[in-house]
Amino acid sequence: MTIISAPAGSGKTCLLRAWADRPGQPHRLAVLQVQRDQHDAQQFWLALLTAVRQASATASRAEPPAATPEFNAPAMVDRVLSELADARGGITLVIDDLHELHSSEALALLTRLLATLPPNVHAILATRRDLRLGLQQLRLAGELAEIRAAALRFSERETRELLDASGIALSAAGAARLHQRTEGWAAGLRLAALSLACHPDPERFVAEFSGSDRTVAEYLLAELLERQPPDVQDLLLRTSPLDRVNGDLADLLTGRPGSERILLELEDANAFVESLDPERTWFRYHHLFADFLRLELRRTLPEEVPALHRRAAAWSAEHGQVVDAIRHTQAAGDWPGAARLLADHSFSLTLDGQAQTIRALVRAFPQGAPADNPELALVRAMSDVFQGRLDEAAAHLAVAETYVEAAPPDRRRRLRVAVAALQLSLATRRGHLAGVVEQARFLASPLAGQSDEDIALGNDLRAVALYNLGTVEAYLGLADAERHLREGAVLARQIGRPYLEVRCLAQLGFASQILPFATIQRRCREAIELAERHGWGAEPWIAPALIALAGTMVWTGEFAEAERWLQRTARALRADTGADIRLLVHMASGMLQAGRGRHHEALQEFGAAEYLGSQLADSHALASRVTGWLLATQARLGMTGEARAVLAALDDERANSGEIRNARAVIRLAEGDPAAALGAVADVLDGTAPVIAPRRCVGHGTVVEAHLLAGLAHRELGDQRAANQAAEQALALAESDRLVLPFAMTGSRELLAALPRHQTAHAALLADILDVVHGASPTANEQSSLPPIERLSPGELRVLRYLPTNLSRPEIAGELSVSVNTVNTHIRSIYAKLQASDRSAAVQRARALRLLSASRTR
Amino acid sequence: MNPTPARYAIRIHGHLGATVLSAFPALVSRRHGADTVLTGLLDRSALYGVLAEIEALGLDLVEVRQLTRHRKPPGSGDRRSP
Repeated sequence: MTIISAPAGSGKTCLLRAWADRPGQPHRLAVLQVQRDQHDAQQFWLALLTAVRQASATASRAEPPAATPEFNAPAMVDRVLSELADARGGITLVIDDLHELHSSEALALLTRLLATLPPNVHAILATRRDLRLGLQQLRLAGELAEIRAAALRFSERETRELLDASGIALSAAGAARLHQRTEGWAAGLRLAALSLACHPDPERFVAEFSGSDRTVAEYLLAELLERQPPDVQDLLLRTSPLDRVNGDLADLLTGRPGSERILLELEDANAFVESLDPERTWFRYHHLFADFLRLELRRTLPEEVPALHRRAAAWSAEHGQVVDAIRHTQAAGDWPGAARLLADHSFSLTLDGQAQTIRALVRAFPQGAPADNPELALVRAMSDVFQGRLDEAAAHLAVAETYVEAAPPDRRRRLRVAVAALQLSLATRRGHLAGVVEQARFLASPLAGQSDEDIALGNDLRAVALYNLGTVEAYLGLADAERHLREGAVLARQIGRPYLEVRCLAQLGFASQILPFATIQRRCREAIELAERHGWGAEPWIAPALIALAGTMVWTGEFAEAERWLQRTARALRADTGADIRLLVHMASGMLQAGRGRHHEALQEFGAAEYLGSQLADSHALASRVTGWLLATQARLGMTGEARAVLAALDDERANSGEIRNARAVIRLAEGDPAAALGAVADVLDGTAPVIAPRRCVGHGTVVEAHLLAGLAHRELGDQRAANQAAEQALALAESDRLVLPFAMTGSRELLAALPRHQTAHAALLADILDVVHGASPTANEQSSLPPIERLSPGELRVLRYLPTNLSRPEIAGELSVSVNTVNTHIRSIYAKLQASDRSAAVQRARALRLLSASRTR
Repeated sequence: MNPTPARYAIRIHGHLGATVLSAFPALVSRRHGADTVLTGLLDRSALYGVLAEIEALGLDLVEVRQLTRHRKPPGSGDRRSP
């Protein structure tokens, strides 16, 4: 690593540029110049990632870097590191003006990045002052090259060379004096050269310069400014408040045309003006020069300053540069105006990942400015909602709302829209459908006479509204969820909001509850994969897809895999305080534990889910399921008294649901009254009791459970035939989606064991269930140590499913309606591909390679 | 660390003209030979602000000195810097 640490004007950037431009540059360069006063860690890292991508120019599968409201710092560092590592050949990372990074968070991350640079990467940093970057280690190991002010100083000989190159005729003594006066300071020499180049009497200039006690910078800058024609001086002074300037904006501030030409000429004369783009439309002044100009402006034309800022603010706002507009409005002293702009745009800015910029802007407001507080309260509420701090958000919103009706008419509409957007987000997080629908309708309705700005804002809000609406509908199990989420994803893609697109798709995976598991899993995996391509695989908003995926796996008995996904979901949720998703995680965990027969742990999980459900505004779609399983687990643990108490406290509607009826049956069985248990599930079995989502997959779960409970009851009553029939019906219902969980949860091992193998039509499913129930589900660990195999054909996979059973080859042939020869051929091929010598070895291998579960979900 | 403001004398090499001086409105400047000394009452934040400004303007910082510790004096005057 190389660090260039020297004061302003030492020539750091010049050095970097000259070095980068030299011919035969072996390595690719990723160059980033830190923006002035950069507070926003995410913006810095996005810029860095972009620079690295451009340099490595690998056609990476990853999406272009997109911002998110919340910034996951460690994930970002990992992304940058992996891009660096992937770049073939060497890569040099150059970061200039590092002292402008005013985010300690970003600096700490950078330190971490530098400590773990891949071996093919060299980092060069330029800064005005030493920073805490953990460089001491490198220094001691001799791996750090330092270029400090002393090295950057011009020697006397170099001074003469500079003068010669600029075509300045100066005596050796004159050059020596110049060198002495400037002490070899690069900026000083360059400024002197500029003045000397068109000075009639260079020697006199140097004499006067040496004879003055003025500081070098001020003397020479004043000289430079003074020598410019009046229109150029005016331009420089009036555009000095800007961080960057183009011809159009400069014309506006000077009130005269022709600024672009002047700027181009200044750059050509190498006068501390440089263009920022290849087309040379935007320019920037060297920091020293700009600072001096600003001071001079304030000193000579103080009354102009607010007006200049206001004009710059208006221009920036018109050209969509919102942050600049707000900064200029603040600088003009128009705090109410700045607050309004901020309130109007903080939504879009947050979606642009500028949350920290917003916070910095809010901090710039003077304390306790009374009329501005409601607008700022709105901004704060926005920040809170995006970070999941729902109670604070509600409080800030309340303050903002009281202000809305009292606001002047032209503000009211904008404020209403902003407030509606926030209410929508809050209502979604709290599962309050009525609130969501109301706000969503309001936001989705087109408003007449909108500016482009309004439309852009409107699209953002509409996409978010669709997302929120679809989300709540999904939780409440309503049919429109899919349509709204799909619409939201499409709109988000159109308006270039990948963050919203991924969120909609993740929810869509979750909302697909009425479809076969295979479809749900496909959608979830698609959403997760898109998220991972953006580097968002561990973010809280992916949780819906993660939990839906985990849920399907718990239902099909793939407990180990499900557990991994559940853990990943829990990690992704982190500090998110929303009760909605956490409820699902607890429910799925409860199902998992119950499936494994760990009733105490299951009880804890269901209890937690129940509690979270009570915190949601509206009744949750899965409420009766949670309660039902809670009761059943209590009963299985012998806590029938508690179970009855909970049961008694339920309202009639819930008490009549299929899930609760099943729970009643479990309680009866625990109390030793199988006949009553049969009575409890009767309505579920004949289909008169309402069950959750009376559609294909998940709804079957309740009915399957009911059959099993009936079977257990029949067994207790000594009616083995009825018990077998019940078990068979359960298997039949469970077959198409391979619902293994109900069997595991109801402890129906003995019920199934008693089932004569040769009389069941669902031998494969039965075998799978018994595997799971006996705790033989395959783990991924086994898989990784085995060599890969050739793929099995669909026909072979079908036969494979029957291998774990006791069925003979002719029996398998009968099941599959094929000839025995076909089965033999398939089995030979299976043994060969799995490198197995016999049936049990093949089964073991197939399990380890997860082929049996792959054959489960179509 | 005492948070209350204290009097500081900040010495910079070279004479500061009107433009650069306008960057330090809270301070009084006096020339001492080839140097300029800026004096004023500053709390810590203000002090670091001044130092940052000096860095930004490329000035040559020679010395930062605290002149008096803040006490509740019964009417004692400022101590002069030597």
